[in-house]
Amino acid sequence: MDPRLHRVLDGELDRDQLPADLRAELERLERATALLAAAPAAGSVAARVLAAVHRPHRALAARVGQWLYERHAVTLKLRPIWSLALAAALALIAVLAGRGTGPAVLAAGEGIAQFVGRFPGAHSVEVVGSFNDWRSGSLPLTDDDQDGVWNAEVVLPAGEHQYMFVVDGEKWVVDPLAGRYVDDGFGRQNALMIVRPVVR
Amino acid sequence: MKVSSRVSPAAPDADVIARVLAGDADAFGVLIQRYEPGLLRFATRMLGSVDAGADAVAEGLVRAYRHLASCREPGRFRTWVYRIVANRCKSHLARRSAGDVSLEDVPAMPDPEDGEAALERAERLAQVSQALSRLSPEKREAFVLKHIEGMSYEEIAAATGARIPTLKMRVHRAREALLEALKEHA
Repeated sequence: MDPRLHRVLDGELDRDQLPADLRAELERLERATALLAAAPAAGSVAARVLAAVHRPHRALAARVGQWLYERHAVTLKLRPIWSLALAAALALIAVLAGRGTGPAVLAAGEGIAQFVGRFPGAHSVEVVGSFNDWRSGSLPLTDDDQDGVWNAEVVLPAGEHQYMFVVDGEKWVVDPLAGRYVDDGFGRQNALMIVRPVVR
Repeated sequence: MKVSSRVSPAAPDADVIARVLAGDADAFGVLIQRYEPGLLRFATRMLGSVDAGADAVAEGLVRAYRHLASCREPGRFRTWVYRIVANRCKSHLARRSAGDVSLEDVPAMPDPEDGEAALERAERLAQVSQALSRLSPEKREAFVLKHIEGMSYEEIAAATGARIPTLKMRVHRAREALLEALKEHA
């Protein structure tokens, strides 16, 4: 790139001093910049910010207390050897305590939803839907044998739930195996899961 | 948006900040109105994603409100809040793994009903956005602040903490890469 172009763009040289070919390059760059400047950005976040601003700012102790009380997804990165040792230790504790691995305890009106998707090469997959306010970060799927098939079993209230998969943190993907779909109101479709209540 | 009725929308930043620090939280709405469009544009271009950009701006503005008392030069609130949002963008980028590609890096699918000019425009925008996304975050940041937000090098230095010669070099490299990409698609 001719240094005179930089000088014009940095306001050190008048554009009239450029030869025609460089002026064409300059205009090409300016058109690209104008395009980026006019490209759509997100809608206003003012309401969200002001809501947060008006929310009382709780003391540190209260925030720590709530953090300790709330449920969090915890990811442990262990060397395989430590994972095996940990698994063995937990199995031993379970055996010694005389407890098997019984079924999940479900409340009345709850059922188990199984989410399965094939996403070879994905780094992470999670499910978001009407059951978690479409918020990411709470229901990860796992692919323990790294065959590209990710799954999760989640206890949900019985009934219909809309959902989508979020791959690698930002690609929203409709479950191709869902079988049932509903319009999301924005011209796309959400997958539909019907959870049956557990029979006691 | 609820904006404090006691603060003129044209009041200087320092006056608005003094009002907020005196307990008028709604006055912060004036600052949001004033800087939100540019911040959203900046964060969207930095992250290549409208949703991620909105998250970064919302987080940044809440953080700015919480730490408003530490804004030592209220008259330079603009560069201060850009710095906070730029840091939120960097955190978002750091959380992404190296192989991740934003959905919006993929050329948009224009609506055929929009007409040929709109389709061509969407295609050009996709090309330019892709070229921008291939720049390093530092170069992208310097380029966007300079050419899209129209900041001077002094203001960019205040917003990023980088030195002016470094910023000039980043902007120059970004222009060269962008121009090269545009030539490829010409």
